Amino acid sequence: MATAPLSDTNTTVPALTQERPVIWPARVRTTLSNGLEIVLVQSHTIPKFNGQLFFRSGNAMTSATSPGIADMTATVARTGTTARSSRQIEEDLRRMGADLSTGAGADTSAVSFSGLVDFSNELLGLVAELTQHASFPADEFERERRQLVEGLKIERTTPGFLASERLRRVLFGAHPYGTISPTEAQAEAYRLDELKDFYSRYYRPGNALLVMVGDFEPQAMLAQVEKSFGSWANAPVEDAPNPALPALKGRKVYLVHLPGSVQTQVSVANRAITRKHPDWLKLTLANSIYGGAFNSRLVMNIREDKGYTYSPRSGAHSLRQHGYFSIGAAVRNDVVAATLKEIFYEIDRMRTEAVGESELADARNYMTGVFSLGLATQDGLSGQLATSTLERLPDDYLETYRERVLKLTAADVLDASQKYFDSANAQVVIVGDRTQIESQAAQYGAPEIYDAQGNHL
Amino acid sequence: MAPVKCISFFAGDFLTQLNIPIESTTLANGLRVVVSPDRAAPVATVGVYYNIGFRIEPRGRSGFAHLFEHMMFQGSANAGKMVHIKLINSSGGVLNGSTHYDVTNYYESVPSNALERVLWLEADRMRALKVDDENLRNQRDVVKEEVRVNVLNQPYGGFPWLDMPPVAYRNWANAHNFYGDFDDLDAATLEDVQKFFETYYAPSNAVLLILGDVDMDEGFKLAERHFASIPSGPAPAPADIDEPPQIEERRGIVEEKFGTLPGVAIGYQAPRRLTPEWYAAAMLDHALHGGRAGRVYRRMVLERQIAVDADGGIHYPVGDLFDYNGPTLMVTRMLYKPEYSADQTIAAYDEILDEMKQKGLTAEELDPIKVKFRSNYFSNLEGGSSIPHYGLMHLLACFSLFDNEPRLVNTILGGFMDVTPEAVQSVAQKLLTRPNRSIVIRQPAKKGAA
Repeated sequence: MATAPLSDTNTTVPALTQERPVIWPARVRTTLSNGLEIVLVQSHTIPKFNGQLFFRSGNAMTSATSPGIADMTATVARTGTTARSSRQIEEDLRRMGADLSTGAGADTSAVSFSGLVDFSNELLGLVAELTQHASFPADEFERERRQLVEGLKIERTTPGFLASERLRRVLFGAHPYGTISPTEAQAEAYRLDELKDFYSRYYRPGNALLVMVGDFEPQAMLAQVEKSFGSWANAPVEDAPNPALPALKGRKVYLVHLPGSVQTQVSVANRAITRKHPDWLKLTLANSIYGGAFNSRLVMNIREDKGYTYSPRSGAHSLRQHGYFSIGAAVRNDVVAATLKEIFYEIDRMRTEAVGESELADARNYMTGVFSLGLATQDGLSGQLATSTLERLPDDYLETYRERVLKLTAADVLDASQKYFDSANAQVVIVGDRTQIESQAAQYGAPEIYDAQGNHL
Repeated sequence: MAPVKCISFFAGDFLTQLNIPIESTTLANGLRVVVSPDRAAPVATVGVYYNIGFRIEPRGRSGFAHLFEHMMFQGSANAGKMVHIKLINSSGGVLNGSTHYDVTNYYESVPSNALERVLWLEADRMRALKVDDENLRNQRDVVKEEVRVNVLNQPYGGFPWLDMPPVAYRNWANAHNFYGDFDDLDAATLEDVQKFFETYYAPSNAVLLILGDVDMDEGFKLAERHFASIPSGPAPAPADIDEPPQIEERRGIVEEKFGTLPGVAIGYQAPRRLTPEWYAAAMLDHALHGGRAGRVYRRMVLERQIAVDADGGIHYPVGDLFDYNGPTLMVTRMLYKPEYSADQTIAAYDEILDEMKQKGLTAEELDPIKVKFRSNYFSNLEGGSSIPHYGLMHLLACFSLFDNEPRLVNTILGGFMDVTPEAVQSVAQKLLTRPNRSIVIRQPAKKGAA
């Protein structure tokens, strides 16, 4: 290959220049007299705004009796109000240039929306209608339920879903966090009155948080919010159940048999902490060194050195009551045992050796930099504000995040690794074709084997 | 410099003329450079787009353009294996690349104090790739796992983006397996890598984009400093990607190995970019596929309840209206209930299209579609939350490489807003014909749950 003579400009990595500080946009935080919490932030990047209206009650509320009711309630709530039909709602959204989605996770139900600022008043009015005056049409419910059942059948053929389902069951047992989805039979048994009941109990202003980010003036927007949500009647809401968790002693291996798989989904996890825990930042820094970034140890090892997998990743996950740490990789069928060996090798290295100063500094920079990138768009800013407010983190959590990360030390990383990375008591879930992977799994403990429907084999 | 609002507007109810600051130039070696400052946040996004996608990869080397994209992260003259990734991550940034039909991109988003470092890295790998057999073996393994996790081991993997081309096209460039047959991936050599680099990765076949927290003049100065000394290379010979005219409906059936529902995808040969028909087809597409209010979802899923899911678009699902520069399709993708046959499903779908061809749509339906189109366009400019300005970068790159005018970003909306109901009906009548379409059916290997 022909190349020009190289100057220093070509051969020397340019130094980083002086960092320009993040400029925090004006933020209004208030609570209406009916209890609705509100966070409003200006961001003039595009002539749009987005919002999320959360209720602090999700699928965990009904997990013991009818899993997924919160999600189904949110789904059907968008299909009709006392004033608008399903078709009218969809056409009105299009007319406003708006997108709207509804759904629920374990801890929250949410209506997410975005649109042109010219129509913000109208869009807020529609969101208010969906959350206060949903009509739950029976035919819409029947259709959505059938779509859900068909979707569940397909999920049971998806390795990532099967791995998450088994992992959560293993980590959390009979606790609501142990169930991520209804069975087909449970979904078929949903009744419309369960949805209406969930809606009337939990879609209440004192249980809600409205976060909006966009090209608006906060005081003017606050007046619009008052108009749409001010008269909404509050009612007390009970907390989600929090039953005891299963004891997890010793390493245990679970195999979900998916016949014909040409790849194996390997997951390793243990319970950890929530974002409210003082060790959270330490854990996330340790995670980013272990497997949470492209240049992390696990990615370098099993992807860039050994070529076992395309997308290995680890992550610390925070639910409201509990958290967990998990590692996942989809690997060639013949390297399942070899992958587990490297996953545990890298865990043990994190637990026994202090991380070097330059690797530590790189990881801190990565965390603070990615945090800044996440504030640069309306969606990103909205996500950060929603997380910190929903979890009732300190008011200055976002503003102080970078400086707190930059203070973390090698001792902090070692401490977090020893507390929250745990190869001896790790829960291992592998999803693949049993005939190709069972003997490899057995090298890490006699596997408990399930089929894709969740039956113990 | 004072913060500049990214998008400001001229007066008027329908805001179609944007005022995003965009300047461009061409260096002596042929590299095009586009700078678009936005000082609102202290982050910068850099992209390098090469005018090569998976259409024109070499015969016998299916999947090579994408495999090559992986090789671009394996080391260059002054930044060995993993140095690119380490330098970007440790500067607080993220990076990736992606291979499309007609372009391949490499991009980074970083706190703006790392901007020059990013440009240095991109220049280094444009100047000289430095990879070995071990790197190639490693990335071939990684790519195979990528194909497995995205296609071979997933329900509906590759449906319809890998199923449709061999049915719809006759020119190998458009019809082959873009992710790569494993035999072809195995056959790839280091010599292929160097040859591909020399043929397609010359500065004159690329555009550099610098967006975000940078001063306009400074952006061009940095581009000159790092890229101007890269030797120019000959432009690649134009490739033949033309399709012979389609004169009859084409059909194919693919077995669905995992999923429980049958699927059908229907694709119509779409107009060339920037033609009057293209603008009208975009509105037609939105009328049909614009989410839950679109006619296809409304009729097939909500009203007749034959399908449980329906979506579609022009150059869907691995591209969009703006990022193709050759033959493509307007595709509808549906999963439907097993109690219906493929023919029943297609017949119900045809009623929707027949109605569109016969009655067209009214201004009352088209006006909201334009509002939504405009709204989507703004969101797209801002990009995803992890790569600020990704969408703007992608548009600037495609308008530069395909149309030689990045400022189309500011004016293109006008063409869509001027589309009349008559134009939509007319393009519907021309495009939505049976001889102009291809159909792929995904048939589950087993019926119902296992």
